[in-house]
Order: sequence, then C-alpha cells, then structure tokens
Amino acid sequence: MSAALRALQESFARAVLGGDPEAIASSIEPGGDEGVRRLAIYGRAVTANLVGALRGAHPVVVRLVGDAYFHEAASRFARADPPQSGDLNRFGDGFAAFLEHYPPAASMPWLADVARLDWACHEATMAGDGEPLDFDALARVPPEAQGDLRFAFRPSVSVVRSSWPILAIWEANQSDRDGTPDRVEGEDTVLVWRETGRVRAVALAPREAAFVEALAAGRGLEEATGEPDWDLPAFLEQLASHGVLAAFRTEIPVGPSPISA
Amino acid sequence: MGAARFPLRAPDPRQAGIGLRTPHFAALAGSRPAVSFLEVHSENYFADGGPALAWLERFRADYAVSLHGVALSLGSVDGLDPVHLDRLARLVSRIEPALVSEHLCWSRLGGRNLGELLPLPYSEESLGVVCARVDEAQERLGRRILVENVSAYVRFRESTIPEGEFVAQVARRTGCGVLLDVNNAYVNAENHGTDARAFLAAIEPASVGEIHLAGPERTGDGLVDSHGARVLPDVWALYEETIARLGPVPTLVEWDTNIPPLEVLVAEADKATAVLRRAGDRARGAA
Repeated sequence: MSAALRALQESFARAVLGGDPEAIASSIEPGGDEGVRRLAIYGRAVTANLVGALRGAHPVVVRLVGDAYFHEAASRFARADPPQSGDLNRFGDGFAAFLEHYPPAASMPWLADVARLDWACHEATMAGDGEPLDFDALARVPPEAQGDLRFAFRPSVSVVRSSWPILAIWEANQSDRDGTPDRVEGEDTVLVWRETGRVRAVALAPREAAFVEALAAGRGLEEATGEPDWDLPAFLEQLASHGVLAAFRTEIPVGPSPISA
Repeated sequence: MGAARFPLRAPDPRQAGIGLRTPHFAALAGSRPAVSFLEVHSENYFADGGPALAWLERFRADYAVSLHGVALSLGSVDGLDPVHLDRLARLVSRIEPALVSEHLCWSRLGGRNLGELLPLPYSEESLGVVCARVDEAQERLGRRILVENVSAYVRFRESTIPEGEFVAQVARRTGCGVLLDVNNAYVNAENHGTDARAFLAAIEPASVGEIHLAGPERTGDGLVDSHGARVLPDVWALYEETIARLGPVPTLVEWDTNIPPLEVLVAEADKATAVLRRAGDRARGAA
C-alpha cells in the first residue's frame, strides 16, 4: 500500500532536510538545475519555519547570541532533530540540551541553562489554568492535619536550576533592559509560572527551592519544611497568593464550610 | 455535544474576512472592524490555556471564526497523528468555529513533522491516501471540513490526474468541501505553465465553502506563496470570474509575512467585499 508514495515522500524529506536532492530529482518537474533550485525553496521554507518556532520560544538566547548565530545553531538542531508534533509551538524541548554540546557555544557555558529558562517561560504561556487554590477550604484544615497537607502546583509552574546566574541574565535581556546583568555570580534556581496571563520568573533561596521541590515530589508540608527555623508561612502565603499553588489534599477530611453547608 | 458556549455565527458571504495574527490582537479588540469572519491557524491555539486562547475566545464572542490547520498532513503515507487530531477536536469543541479547514499536502513522515506544506503527486495512490485521511478527520471531528489547494514549486512526473480534477475527486469521494485558494491556483499556473482557469473550472461550484486570497512574492525561481503582499491584479481578475461563476462565497484575505497595520489588511478585505456585493446584486437583479 502506498509504497511509491512512501518512497517519494522519503526522498523529498531527504532533499529538504538533508539538502540531498539526488533521489527526488528524477521525479520532479522542472528538471535539471531549475528543479534543484525549486526544491531549495522548500528547504529554505522548512528551515525558516522551524528556526522561527525556536526563535519565538527562546527570545533571550536570540538576544544573547544574535540573529545569525541563532539561525545557524537552530537550523542545525532542527535538521538533526525535526519536530515530532505539527504544532510548532511544541518544538524546542531538546534545544537547550543541543546547545550544551554545541561546540561553538563552549565559551558560553550558561547558554544552555538560559535556553532552559526561555523554554520554561514558553511552556508556561501554553499551560492550562488548572484549579485555583481553595483558600476557604484551606482555612478549615484542622491544626493536627496541617503537617500532612500535600499541595499540587498550577500546570504552568516549573523550576529551573542552574550553576549560573541565569535569572540575572534573563532579566537583563528583556526588551526594556540593555543586556547588562545586575550580578555576574550566583547559582540561580528559578521558579517560573503564569500569573493572570503574564509569565513570572523569580529566584528561589536554597531553602525555598528545596521546599518547592519537596512539595512537587508529593511530600507533606511538615516533611517538606525541613528545619522549622525559617518563615515558612510567609513563603507559603506568597506561593498561594501569586497563583502558584493549586489544589491540596490531606489525610483527614476537611469539613464543609459552615456558611455554604 | 455539550451546550453551546458562544452565539452561533456564520460568515456573511457578502463580506470578506481576515486572517487573524498576533500583532493585530490589540488593534482588532480596539477597532472591531466590520469583517465577516476571523481565520486563525488552528495549531497556534492548541495550548491547554494561556493568553492566545483567551484572546481567541474573546474574539469568538463577536465574530464567526474559521479554524485553518496547517499541519494535520492529510497526504502523509503514515496516517494522521492521533494526538494532533485530538487537539484539533478539543479546539473545535472549545471555539465552535463556523469553518474548519486543512491543506491538500503533507508534512509528516516517520513520526516527524517538517512544518511546511509539501506537495503531493496527483495520482490514484495519493487520492486513496488523502480520502482515507479526510474521512478519518471528518469522523473524529464530527463535521465536514474544507480542503485547500496549495501552491507548489515542483510538479511530480508521477502525477496522472490534473490538479483541479484531483481536488474535485477528494470532495466528491469524501463529502468534504473545497477551500479554493485563487492565489495558489495563479501561482501554480505561473510556476508550471498550466492554466489557472482550467483548474478553477474543474471544481464543482457547490463544493466550494470558502475562498482564499493572498499576495505572493516574485523570485528568480518563480512565484513563492509568501502571504506577504497585496493581492495581485491578475488574481483579482481570477477572483471576479470565480465569484461570477459561484456566486458570493465566504472569502478571506491572508497576510502572514511583512504583516501590515490592521487597517491595510481590512482595506484589502474590503476590495473582496466589493466584488462579493456586486455579484450578490447581480444575482438579485437576475432573480
């Protein structure tokens, strides 16, 4: 079934992705050099579309390396590892890992982590809203059950860890800044999420990061807190009020609201 | 089927619509131009949530919407990507569009998508593949789709069926409609030395659910369908002839590169509206 069509599509893909028009050349009109030039229109369009998708998802990397550098790196990545989805907004998951091993980027060891932060922000724009935290229900959790509270995060939430000051770099390369980071040292752990339509990225202190990651791993509040010598309630209040936390569950059932019941 | 979330809206065939692109969101929300419908690329709204989808839902409250897919890949030997089709189905039930369309081309092979509208040979083999995919899509979406003729820069020696006949056969065999792109018909005729009028004449009038207009780019290697300029005078002439034959059909002006201010796009759509109105007046005069 469709053997001839399959062979033709495979040859065509080799021409547009690999720049190898040999196999398809005998099947197309116009023939000769003109046909090869016409095929090249497809090659350029494929590259432009895939690079354009990566460009849109990695605005800070683009600004750091410039258009020509980005185009070269992104087109190499796209040709080697084309998208698995026809939704090009989902294309780019592996670009940070590619940059990590991209020889020309060896002098910018932070670049791959900046790409990870760009990608986390891009994904946050597409995530679902999820259910907001039910503050009333939370207030009714009896004290003896609080240590075992387990929180879920809103779907847009992610954490990016780096040994480089990626948040300072990322902030300095937003459109209203001149590119000069406020600091050039630090190991940033960045919490990314979407709050009322806008993507937010903030640095977490080591203790906050450990707490968030413990909650994300499904640990209860008490276990996630660790040493109780920090202002957990204030941090938890921030996570809750900025739309980071979603539903919670507890081992002990929470009674109905005295008003609505 | 759940309860409808939006008012039922259909494009007015006597007024053209515009392709909705991100740079125009704010201007469109502010000026609310008189266009008959908004068309978006379906894939740009496949997200689970977020600002783009929120904008589209806001516009859907006031306008008829057409979902125009670029990557379902109806011509792939590999078959449809079930995840892609599911996301499209979810968007269709979320937006309640007046029209849903895809392209007569392929982009998917071996689990990868090349992100471009690649041409098919027009053969019995391709016809079988495309019709099976159109059947599957219409079944999954629970509605009729429109399929669009694409611009092509090469032709295949394997082609045994004229393009117009191929498109007409897909519609006849599957019951789908045709999204007739008059600019693509012109581009192909210029690039391959074929006859755009013969192509257009092969399409059954009753099958045409929508018409596309756009401006191509002239290069040393022929016309490239860049959607980056005004509609060419020759294409306006073909469009007038087509509307004279079909009567008023929902018409869309697309502009995807070198995107101009919204008012320039709306002015281009207004030219199509003038053609549609003249045809409508003639039809009423004849009745």
